[in-house]
Amino acid sequence: MARVLVGSVDEIQEGTPVFVHSGVIEIAVFRLGDEFRAYRNRCPHQQGPVCHGTITGTQLATASSGWKSEWVREGRVLLCRWHGMEFDLETGKRMRGRGERLRSFPVSVSDDQVFVDVASRSPNARRRAATPLP
Amino acid sequence: MATKVLGREDLVIVDCDVHVHDPPEALAPFADMPWRRSMEHLGGVKQRYLDIPGYSTSLNIDPPFPNDGPNARHVTSATQMRDELDAMHIDIGVLFPDHLLRVAVFPQTDYAAALGRAYNAWLADTWVSRERGLYGAVLAVPQDPEDAADQIRKYGAMEEFVGVYLPVAGVRPLWGDRVYDPIYEAAAEMGLPVMLHSVGLIHPNFPFNVDHMTSRLIRHPIQHEFALMANLFTMIGSGLPVRFPDLDIVFTEGGISWVPYVMWRLDKEFAETPADAPMLERPPSTYIKQMYFCTQPIEEPDRPSDLATMIDLFSGHDHVLYASDWPHHDFDHPRAVMRVPFGAEVRRKIMGETALRLFGISLPVPTA
Repeated sequence: MARVLVGSVDEIQEGTPVFVHSGVIEIAVFRLGDEFRAYRNRCPHQQGPVCHGTITGTQLATASSGWKSEWVREGRVLLCRWHGMEFDLETGKRMRGRGERLRSFPVSVSDDQVFVDVASRSPNARRRAATPLP
Repeated sequence: MATKVLGREDLVIVDCDVHVHDPPEALAPFADMPWRRSMEHLGGVKQRYLDIPGYSTSLNIDPPFPNDGPNARHVTSATQMRDELDAMHIDIGVLFPDHLLRVAVFPQTDYAAALGRAYNAWLADTWVSRERGLYGAVLAVPQDPEDAADQIRKYGAMEEFVGVYLPVAGVRPLWGDRVYDPIYEAAAEMGLPVMLHSVGLIHPNFPFNVDHMTSRLIRHPIQHEFALMANLFTMIGSGLPVRFPDLDIVFTEGGISWVPYVMWRLDKEFAETPADAPMLERPPSTYIKQMYFCTQPIEEPDRPSDLATMIDLFSGHDHVLYASDWPHHDFDHPRAVMRVPFGAEVRRKIMGETALRLFGISLPVPTA
């Protein structure tokens, strides 16, 4: 099983993803409390560098809020900088989307070191990394 | 020439809509007095994103997005534009402004005309370049059609200018009105297509009188597609395609899926009241099928194949042009269009071949 060392647990802070590479695949590791999530840095929409986006919250209006806007899930929403698509950092799913999701990789912690298992999803090395646009 | 990764090596990608950043202080040296002084003053005003009162007047009535929204990007030099188009494997870009997308709203005719002249001179001096694959569209300010016609003849003589930009936001009357005939005469004379381009805006003029609407989400399609439709309607109503049969008309930043509706709706009206359009020799759809429509913002239906079906409804295989709208928030990377299952020949046409023919750009494109 191919594992990539991300760093020590303390080196990965909430709100600041750490990027690692496996061939041309760029992966961002996010800390969510005591847990970690690893996603490929490619938006399923137009393949932009989604993991360079803003970690934020989102607005929702529901019957329970009296249909008024509420600010929810602060720090658990990843906003793609290309087109503004929102993803749930805990699940990788696009919020209120059509089933799109970020490509995720298993994360493990061993002796305070964080690893990403990059082999389990057999990423296609022929695909290009995200285009380096701002 | 960009390194080809997206598609075949022989696929030329022409992007019919990219935006140069045009702050007032950059254009001021190219402006006539007294407006040069006004633009220098504007350069000292704190600027929000594409929102400068007296220069880029959006009448913004919204709070900022709580999540800060998508990026506010600018392209400030031809070198930067070339690099970023290279990153998207785009060979050629047709340049449009940022701030001056809103130039049609000014009631001050002389000021609007001065802005148009300054922009065209600045574009010619600073941006357009065959070697870089960056081509210009002459800004035609609607407030002064005679001056705009002069600008079209002046800059249209340069091979780096391949079209005429008709600003849509706030224009009154709409672009079908015969008051604009001098612009169309000049464009036809110079062999340049006219390119309508819309932008988000609140304005008393139809269909931008959307101040009662509660969000950008519902205003944005009205400010783009509805505005383009309304202008197209007036062009048919005044018989523009009959009066200027050699004039090519391009619609940018409206996507493509509204075109069949417009054709069929106007054909239905024409069948009932042909006396209302005495200049038309044939049903409206005949003329609309000769117009051109840019892809951005490309629709993203559940089944991408629906878009291939869609363009068959209006001869789109020869009349749809790729556009990115780079660097704006709703830009489309070429792959957003490339992934639509058009046939190989249609894809080549949409991504570049039709635009090369329309703009009269010859290959090979010189490399920098």
